Formats: sequence, structure tokens, C-alpha cells
Amino acid sequence: MRASVLRALVAVGAFAMLIAACTPSPEAAIEPAEDPEELEGELTVWAWEGAVEPLQEIDDAFSEEYPNIELNYEVQPPADTYQNLQLAITAGSGAPDVALIEDSHLSQFVALGALADLTDLVEPYLDRMNSYKWDAAERDGRYFAMPWDSGPVAVFYRRDVFEQAGVDPDAIATWDDYYDAALTIKETVGVPMWQQSRAHNDARKFEMLMWQRGLGYIDEEGNVILDTEPGIEEILEYMGRFWDDDLAADTEPWTDGWYSEMNEGEVATVPGAVWMGTFLKSFIAPETEGLWGVFLLPVWEPGDAQASNDGGSALAIPEQSEQQEAAWAYIEFHLGRDDSQVRMYEVSDIFPALEDAYEDPFFAEPDPYFDGQEVRSLFAELVQEVPTAGVYNPDYAEMNEIMAVEIQRFATGRQSAAEALSNAAEEIRARTGRS
Amino acid sequence: MSPDGTTKALHGTAAARSTAVRRPAAALRRLGRHRWAYAFIAPFFILFTIFLLYPILFSFWLSFHEWSGLGAMAFAGGGNYGRVANDGIFWNSMRNAVIIFFLYVPAMTFLAIVFAALLSTGYVRLQGAWRALIFLPYVTNMVAVGFTFQLMFDSRVGIVNGALALLGLGPVPWLDEPMWARLTLGLLMIWAWVGYNTVIMLAGIQSIPREIFEAAKVDGAGPVQILWRITIPLLKPVIIFSVTLSVIGTFNMFTEPFILTQGGPIRATETPVMQIFQHTFQNLRFGYAAAISYVFLAVIIFVTLVQFRILSRGENR
Repeated sequence: MRASVLRALVAVGAFAMLIAACTPSPEAAIEPAEDPEELEGELTVWAWEGAVEPLQEIDDAFSEEYPNIELNYEVQPPADTYQNLQLAITAGSGAPDVALIEDSHLSQFVALGALADLTDLVEPYLDRMNSYKWDAAERDGRYFAMPWDSGPVAVFYRRDVFEQAGVDPDAIATWDDYYDAALTIKETVGVPMWQQSRAHNDARKFEMLMWQRGLGYIDEEGNVILDTEPGIEEILEYMGRFWDDDLAADTEPWTDGWYSEMNEGEVATVPGAVWMGTFLKSFIAPETEGLWGVFLLPVWEPGDAQASNDGGSALAIPEQSEQQEAAWAYIEFHLGRDDSQVRMYEVSDIFPALEDAYEDPFFAEPDPYFDGQEVRSLFAELVQEVPTAGVYNPDYAEMNEIMAVEIQRFATGRQSAAEALSNAAEEIRARTGRS
Repeated sequence: MSPDGTTKALHGTAAARSTAVRRPAAALRRLGRHRWAYAFIAPFFILFTIFLLYPILFSFWLSFHEWSGLGAMAFAGGGNYGRVANDGIFWNSMRNAVIIFFLYVPAMTFLAIVFAALLSTGYVRLQGAWRALIFLPYVTNMVAVGFTFQLMFDSRVGIVNGALALLGLGPVPWLDEPMWARLTLGLLMIWAWVGYNTVIMLAGIQSIPREIFEAAKVDGAGPVQILWRITIPLLKPVIIFSVTLSVIGTFNMFTEPFILTQGGPIRATETPVMQIFQHTFQNLRFGYAAAISYVFLAVIIFVTLVQFRILSRGENR
């Protein structure tokens, strides 16, 4: 053949081989290293403020066992973390070696196929962590993240307000009791029972209440159940009564006004996850030590579960990472070992999902912030009762946004609870292609 | 046929053949002669192609697919466009843009004309200081402004309600109710953009011949009459220009509502660009977001053309 054609073919062939050599072969499953000293490199870890500090607490011990791994933390709030992670995934580079992801957003990343498959590595931990924590990390029987903390929900209450009103928290067993207590407290002390914004509602309390009943946006098959489950309408109607009877503080969450209400005792209860207690202690109401207590969620029917969940997070390894063995070593050390998890809990109150940790005597200690109540063991027992519910899922962010607006319309009197749920359900079905 | 004619004919065809061969060579030579000109404008065109032309064409292509940013694109035909037509939330954001436009643009444009008129008379001292003060908001960072306004207009702890309380007036739900939130956003936009429009109006006024104003004063016209009867009619082309920019700017609003109200309450201040952002970066539906952006483009082009027609009627006689 002609010399020029031959030359062109050789050039193309060489180019093709070059491309093939540069393209990384599909990642083999991560092998845990035999010798800790062998693992070396620099790990980039993305986490947010409040989570970075406890992780760094463990780093000294980690560096003793893995002396050749260097750690580099990039601190950013959760919203930025998810955005930057998405950009890095789309761009094909720039992702960290270890990323902290909340359960609410974890399934979206799992569904994207952006995280490394950790199934074989997390297998020994499947029974040792709160079982419901694995739902967000799982797809088609494979696992893509390691749970860190859980968000079991109870009701934080102001002892001084309850005493002044003459209400006994132990007598609140059902949600009807809770409502009656709200009326009493409003009459005697003039203080609303909970904070529930109307025009700025974020649907989080609504989700908490759904989760308690094992309900959520979707069922196990992924079908939207907001407008088909009577239990959900009951929840929204119940919330409506507090707005109608002026028993809810209409403040936008996570604003100065919201914080000061909790600090000044201008609200009687704060139903929330264990991390809400951490926030109360650290920056919302640190001077009110001893004035708070905790009681379990009331029930709809006697015999119902008293546990729910709000939040929780996990550590995952983006598929892009070139140091997956070292990244797993980091995750295993920080999250898989009892003493690491307990130490992190001690310094930051981030509640471990690792159930073995609950045996540590630290959990049995009374907490002075809650007037000596043994709050830690209360949450440790509670977290093991949390039901599975269809709240967190790959489309959670979208569903939460749609639901929040419909609740806002309901709360400001523009529509009924049933309309809110059916509008939300229709919109979610249309947008996410579910039935 | 004379011998000359034959020769000329032969020369003609030969000449024609050689010109045909020479034309591309001549073009190349012209290129070479102007090579420095091309070299200097090349960077712009290279960047333009990479960062503007390619994304524009790619997103058009993308609008016919479904894509989550990772993995393969799934062809969807006109499915995305069909969904946009039925997307109540998107059309709500378009409606919001129209409402907010009428809330603040007329007031802002009029204010800009008044400021420009005042600044171009001899009455006002310290011209430089006033101009700087009026223009300063335009160069402030919109994110910082959004956060500041959010704090100021907070219905519980904001200083605006605090000041109103001193005057004995009740707390206003600046950011808590849909129409009030739109108004607050409008106030922010007026504050931020009146300076920019004042500069435009000032340039327009300064291009009006002085004699006209003098003639009017001689005829006994007062300042308000001059403004109303002379300045504003003569400023008509400038006003059209400013309003066109305001239309495009209002539809493109993102930073201000994103920071001030996050689109709330109850989607009252959600704008089309916020919707595009949400579908791209939160819901990871790149194809749908691309379809929205093209529908949006079509609407803006249509509105701008209509506006030219209406406002320019009678302009060119």
C-alpha cells in the first residue's frame, strides 16, 4: 500500500495504544493492606465543621498505626460538599479520597455510581451497626459507604417551663396527651409547645413524624405514598391543629430568632435528633445547663414504636480516588473501632452507629446539661428501635423541596392537608418518573 | 475573425485559467499579510468557541437527552420540552419575573431619570460625591447585599421593623409573605441598580443640546415642566435601552433572590434561572435543565422583540 497510508495507520495505531495505556483499567476490588506501614500517600478528606474536629482527634492514634499516610482536610458546609462532589464527578477529577455525606443525600450519590464498592470490606460490620443505616448506602445488594452517626429522635423539653405549667412529662404517652399538654402550657405559661414555621417550613419535623410510623415519601417499591397512606394525612392534620390553636412558634428554622426562642425558654419542647442536643449544648443555649430534659416521642396508638430518625451521615470513597486502600484504612480506623467512635462521641456528641460502642461506660454516665438524666443510654436503646422508612432515597432533595412548599401552603391557609399531600404526590411523580 | 480577436480570445481563456489557480493562493497571501491582525483577535475567538459557542451548542444537544452528569446520556426526543410546557413550577417562576419586573422597574427607571436630571442641573453641589454615592451600590457584591438585606428585613429582629416600631407602625412581614417578599426583592433591586441606570440617563441628558433647555427657560418653563415635557420625551431612545436591559436583567435574576429569600416564601420569588440551577445541581437532571433554558431563551427573545415594536412605534418616521 501507499507509504502515506501506511504511515497514517501506524500513527493511528500508536495513538490508540497510548490512549489505552493512559485509560485506567476498571478498579479491582479494594484489598485491605497486609502491613499498615506499606500504605502510603496523602488522603484528601472532605467534611464539615463540627465533624472535622472529632475526626482529627483520632488522627494521632491513626498515624501511629499508619505512619506513612498523610491527611489533608478540606472543610466546607454540607451543601457545598455535595455541589463540589457533583462537579468533581461530572468533571472526572477533583474528588476527594474520603467524603462525608449525610444519609439524606447518600442514596443520590450511590445511584449515580460515583462511589467505590465497599461490600466485601463492610461485611463484618453489617451486624454491628444500626441496621437501618445500611439502607441509604445500599444498591442492588452492594454497599457503597460506611455509616458514622445516627440521628435517633426524642423530645427535648424545658424542665422549668413544664414545672411552671404543672405538666408532668412522664404523663405524655400519646400525641393527644402532647396536644393537651400544649394547651395547658399555653394557658398557664403562655409559651408555644413547639416551633413550626408556616411560610418557611422545611418539612423536617413532618418527615420525623412519618419515619416514626415507618412511613415516608415512598414505599419499598419506590411508589409515592403521600396521598395513599391515611397515617400521613393524620400527621399533617395534627400539625395543622397546632397552627390553628396558636400552639406553634412561627419562626424560620436556623435563624437567630429560632435559637433565641430555645435559649430564653420561649418554647416548651424541641422534638429533635440526638445532634440537636449537641447543638443546644454547644452554641444554641449553652447557658441553660440543667434546665433541659428528654422524653420519648409520644405514640399514635399504644404499642407503636417511639423511635424515629433525622439525619445521620456516612463516610464514602469516591470511585475516582487513586488511593482507595489507604482511604479504607482511614475509614475502618475511625468508624469501625469502638474506641475511636466512643472518643469522637465524647468530644463532639456525634452519636455512633456502631452498636458495640454502646457498651462503653461513657454511655451510662448522667449528663449534667439534662439535669443528670442518663440521656446517652436512652438514645442508645432508642436507636436500635428505629424502623425502616421511605424518607431518604435518591430523589430526597427534590421531594423534600416540593413537600416543604406544599406544607407552607397548608400552613398559611391556602389549601387543606389532603390537597397538600395530593399536590406534592402528583408533582413528585411527574418529576421523578415514579408511580 | 481578425488575428487580434483570435489572439485575444486565446489569451482570455488562458488568463481565466491562470486566475482560477491563483485565487486560493491570493487568498492565502492576504491571510499572511494580515497575520498579525488575525493573531491578535484569535484569543478571543478561541475562548469564545470553547467557553461560549461549544456550551451553547452542547446544551442544545443535551436538551434532547436525559443525563445525570455521570454515565451515558439517554435520548429523550422532545420529551423534555413537553414536560417544560406542563411544568407549573417553571411557569410560576416566569410569572414571578413579570410581577417583580412591574414592581420595581418603572419606579427605578423614573428615579434614575430624576437623579440624572438633578445631577445635570447646576442646583446640586458636590456633584462628584453624589454620583459616587448613587453608583456605589452597583459595585457592591450582590451576595453580601443579599445577606445584609435579609438581616435588615427580618420581621422579628431586623432594623427596618425596629425603626417602624419607633414610629408606632406594626411589624411588616417583609420576607414572610409572598407579595411582601417580592416587594422587598424589588427594593433591593432598586437600591442596587438605580446607579447604573442613572449613569445611562445622565449620558442621554448630556447629549440633549443645551439650547433647548435655555429656550424653554426663556419661555418660562419651570424645572418640573422641563423634566416632563422636554427631558423625558427626548430621552425616549435611552429609556427604551434601559428598559430592555432591565427586562433581560430581571428575567436573569439569580443571586439576589437566591440569597435573600431562597425563592420563597411559597415560591413567590423563584426565578427561571433559579429553576435551571435547581434542576442541574440539586436534582441532577441536566437534559431537562437545558430544555428549560432554551424555552426561557425563546421567551426572552419574543418579549424583547415585542417590546421594541411597542416602544419604538412612532420613533422612526
